[in-house]
Amino acid sequence: MEIRLPQLAEGADSGTVVNILVAVGDKVRKDQTVLELENQKAVAPIPAPAAGTIAQIHVKQGDVVSVGQMLVTLTGEGVPEQKPEPRTPFAERPPSSSGFPPPASPSIRKMAKELGLDLAQIPGSGNGGRITSEDVRGYLQSLQSAPARRAPPKVDFAKWGPVTRKPFTPLRQAIARAMEESWTTIPHVTQFDDADVSGILKLIEKFGPEYEKKGTRLTLTGIVIRALVPVLKKYPVFNASLDEGSQEIILKQYIHLGIAVDTEGGLIVPVLRDADRKNLLDLSRELQDLAEKTRARKISMEQLQGGTFTISNQGGIGGGHFTPIIHKPEVAILGVGRARPKLPLALSYDHRVIDGAAAARFIRDLGQGLETFPESEVNI
Amino acid sequence: MGSDPVGSDPIKADWVVLGAGPGGYAAAFYAADRGRKVILVEQEKRLGGVCLNSGCIPSKALLHATELMRESKESAKRGIRFSEPKVDLAQLRAWKEGILEKLAGGIRTLAQRRGVEVMQGRGYFEDSRTLRVETESGQKFIRFVKMILAVGSKPALPTAFDLGNPRVMTSTEALELEETPRDLLVVGGGYIGMELGTVYATLGSRVVLVEAMGSILSGVDPDLARPVLQYAQAAFKEVRLNVKVSKMATGGKQIKVAMEVEGKKREELYDRVLVSVGRTPNCADLGLENTKVTRDGKGFVQVNGKQQTADSAIAAIGDVVGGAMLAHKASKEARVAVEALLGEEVSSREAVIPAVVFTDPEVAWCGLTEAEAAEKKIPVEVARFPWAASGRALTLDRPDGLTKLILEPGSERVLGVGIVGHGAGDLISEGVLAVEMGATAKDLAETVHPHPTLSETLMECAEVFYGTSTHLFLRRRTIES
Repeated sequence: MEIRLPQLAEGADSGTVVNILVAVGDKVRKDQTVLELENQKAVAPIPAPAAGTIAQIHVKQGDVVSVGQMLVTLTGEGVPEQKPEPRTPFAERPPSSSGFPPPASPSIRKMAKELGLDLAQIPGSGNGGRITSEDVRGYLQSLQSAPARRAPPKVDFAKWGPVTRKPFTPLRQAIARAMEESWTTIPHVTQFDDADVSGILKLIEKFGPEYEKKGTRLTLTGIVIRALVPVLKKYPVFNASLDEGSQEIILKQYIHLGIAVDTEGGLIVPVLRDADRKNLLDLSRELQDLAEKTRARKISMEQLQGGTFTISNQGGIGGGHFTPIIHKPEVAILGVGRARPKLPLALSYDHRVIDGAAAARFIRDLGQGLETFPESEVNI
Repeated sequence: MGSDPVGSDPIKADWVVLGAGPGGYAAAFYAADRGRKVILVEQEKRLGGVCLNSGCIPSKALLHATELMRESKESAKRGIRFSEPKVDLAQLRAWKEGILEKLAGGIRTLAQRRGVEVMQGRGYFEDSRTLRVETESGQKFIRFVKMILAVGSKPALPTAFDLGNPRVMTSTEALELEETPRDLLVVGGGYIGMELGTVYATLGSRVVLVEAMGSILSGVDPDLARPVLQYAQAAFKEVRLNVKVSKMATGGKQIKVAMEVEGKKREELYDRVLVSVGRTPNCADLGLENTKVTRDGKGFVQVNGKQQTADSAIAAIGDVVGGAMLAHKASKEARVAVEALLGEEVSSREAVIPAVVFTDPEVAWCGLTEAEAAEKKIPVEVARFPWAASGRALTLDRPDGLTKLILEPGSERVLGVGIVGHGAGDLISEGVLAVEMGATAKDLAETVHPHPTLSETLMECAEVFYGTSTHLFLRRRTIES
C-alpha cells in the first residue's frame, strides 16, 4: 500500500517534511504517525492508514511534497487495499468532526434561538469558524435581501364557491422543497427525441411469459435501463455531480439509478444500485421490489440516497413528452412516455455542466440503442 | 372536589415554586424579577436547601478550616513551625452554623425585597393545579397557574445499612460534626466521600475508604483523579478499591461492618460509618401521582430541554430531575424554566455545567472529558500542562497539578477542560467560558494571563498544543519562521 499526501485543507496543497518518525522495516500501528509535515499554518502528523511494515520511504527531511505525492510504501498482512482517510488538521473552518453544534457564544446562541435561526446555516468568521454577532446580522440581511418569499395575499376562495382544504403533507413539503431548490438553482434544458421501439415491444410480447414464470415482469423500464447503461458510460458527465464549493465536477464510477415512483402520497425516488452490473432478469426483479416497497412506504432512508441519474417513466399512465426536473445533486434525468408507436424521450440536463451537443449525442445514442436492442439481452 | 376543610378557601396564585434550594429560590427570584407574583414554599425553617444547610456551604467551611490545619503542619519544612492545633469542635460547629444562618437570612431578605411570599410547610399535590401545604397554622391550599418543582434530593441510605443507629451517617449527619470518631469508615469514593473523608482525616480520625469500583471519583479522567488518590492514600489509613460492603450491624458502641477484601470475607469495627453512595430524589409523599408528572426508572422527574414535565402546568429543576446533582446546574435550570414559562425559546441542554470536587487537590472539569470522547469515539486532541512547570504552583508548594485541554481536531476548538490542583474550582470558570464561547486553543494561547498565577496554566496548555509553551519543552516540533 502506498501512503500519499492527502489533501490537508483547502489551499494547503504542499508542505515540507519536518520529521520522519519511522525507518524502513519498522512495524507500525494503524493511525501511528509516520511523518510530520509543515506548511504555513501548522505542523500536521501524517498517520498510517493501516497496520503494516514500512517497505520504503520516498521522501527525506526537508523535502517539499505536494498533494498526491507518494510518501511511504507499506506492506504486511492485514493491510486493506484502501485509500488513507484524508485528515484535515488545519482547515480554516471544517465542519465539526465531533458532532458538536457550531461554535458561537451563549449570547449569540440565545439570539439565534429567539430569532428561530439555524446556526449551522450561518458561516462564522471568527477563529475556528466562530459565529459572531456580525455574522448573524449579515445572515439576516442576506435573508432579507433575498427575493421575497412568496407571501401571496390571503384570498378567500370560498367567496366564489365551495372549497375543501387538505393538508400539504410532510412528503409533499419535501417534494416541494426539492423541486424548488433544483428548479431555481439549476439552469434546465430539456432535449426531446423519439425512438422506434417496435422491436422491443415484440421482445416483451415474446419473452414476457418467461419472466412471469420466474415471478417477475419484463418491462420497458428494465430495457431502457439496459440501453441507458452503455450510454452513461460513454458520456460520464451525465453520471456526475457539480461540487460548487470546490468548483469540481465529480464523475461517479458507479451507476445507481433513481427510479421515480408514483405513490399515493406523492413522488418518491428509490435508488437501484449498480445498474451496470445486473442482467435484465435481476433488474426486473429489483425494479418490481423497489416499486412495491416504495408504494408500501417501506423503503429505507438509505435506499433513497446515492443516486447518480434518474429515470421517470410515465409510459404506464400514457404520457408523452414532458420536461422532468433534475434530481439534485444529479445533473440529468430521463423522462420516458408511452410508445405510440414511437417512444417519447425527454432528457433534462444541467446546462452548467453539460452542453446541448453532448445532450443531443446522448439522446441519439440512447435512441439507437433502443431501436437495435438485441434479443440476446432479453433471452433468459 | 368540595372536600376543602372549612376556612381554607384556596389561595389563588400565579406561580408557585416548591423547594427553596439553589434551584428553587433562584427560580422564584428570577420570576419575580421578570414581573411575576410568586409564592415560594419550603418545608424547612431555614431557606437554602441542601446546598446551604447540608451540602456545598458547610462542607466547604469545614474543608477550609481543616486545610488550615494541614497547611500549618506542612509549614514546618518551610521553616515555620506551629504547635499542634487544638480543635474545639463546638466552636468549629458554631462558626459553620453562623455562616449558614447568615446566608439563609440573606436569602429571606432578598425574597422580601422582591415581594416573593415565602410559605413554610410541607407541600403535597392534590391535583395538577392544587398544592396543599401543611403549615404550622394548619393546612393551606394553593390554586396555581404554573408550578416549578424544585424539591431536590437526599443522600441514599441502602436498607442494608439503615440500622437506625446515629453512628451510621450520611453526609447530612457527618456535616453536623458531632464528634471526631477514632475509626471512621467511608463507604463510597465519590466526591462526597472524598471531601468528608478529608475533613475527618485532618481532624484526627483514622479513615478507611472503600469503593466498589476500580477507581475513586468515577467519571473523572484518570489523570485528573490520580493526584487525589495519592493524597488520600497518604492522609487516610487506607483506600480500598473494588471492595463491596455487604452488611452492617450495631456492635456495642461501634458498628460491625462486613466486607469482602481480595476474595476474603472480613469483619471490622468502626466508631462511625459515613455512607456516601449517591443521592435519591425527594419524590415520596409529594402527591406527584395526582398530577401528570412522569418519572424515570430511578425515580427522577422527566423533563424536556425547557424543564417542562409531562404535566403542562408543572416544570421541574435541579436534583429532582437527575443528571449532575449540583447547585449551579439547578440555578441554570431555574432560569431556563422561568424563561420557558414566559414563552421564550430556551433550552438547558446545551449549557456547559462545570463539575468541581473540593478534595485536596481540587478537581474540576467542564465540557467533554477525555474518557467520554474515547467512549463515544469522538476524535479529539489533548494538550496537557503539568503544574511542576508553573512558577506559581511551586511558590504555593503545590506542584501536584495538571491542566488539560480537549480539542477538536482541525478547528482546534476547545471542547473540554480538565484541571486538578490547588484552586481548580476557581480556575475552571475560564475553561467553561472557553467552551461556551466556542474558543479555540489559539484564543487561549493569545490571551495574556498575569504572572505568576495558576491561570497561566490554561494559556501554557494551549501553547503546549502548538509546541511553543515557554515553560515546558516537550519535544522537537520546531516551527520555522
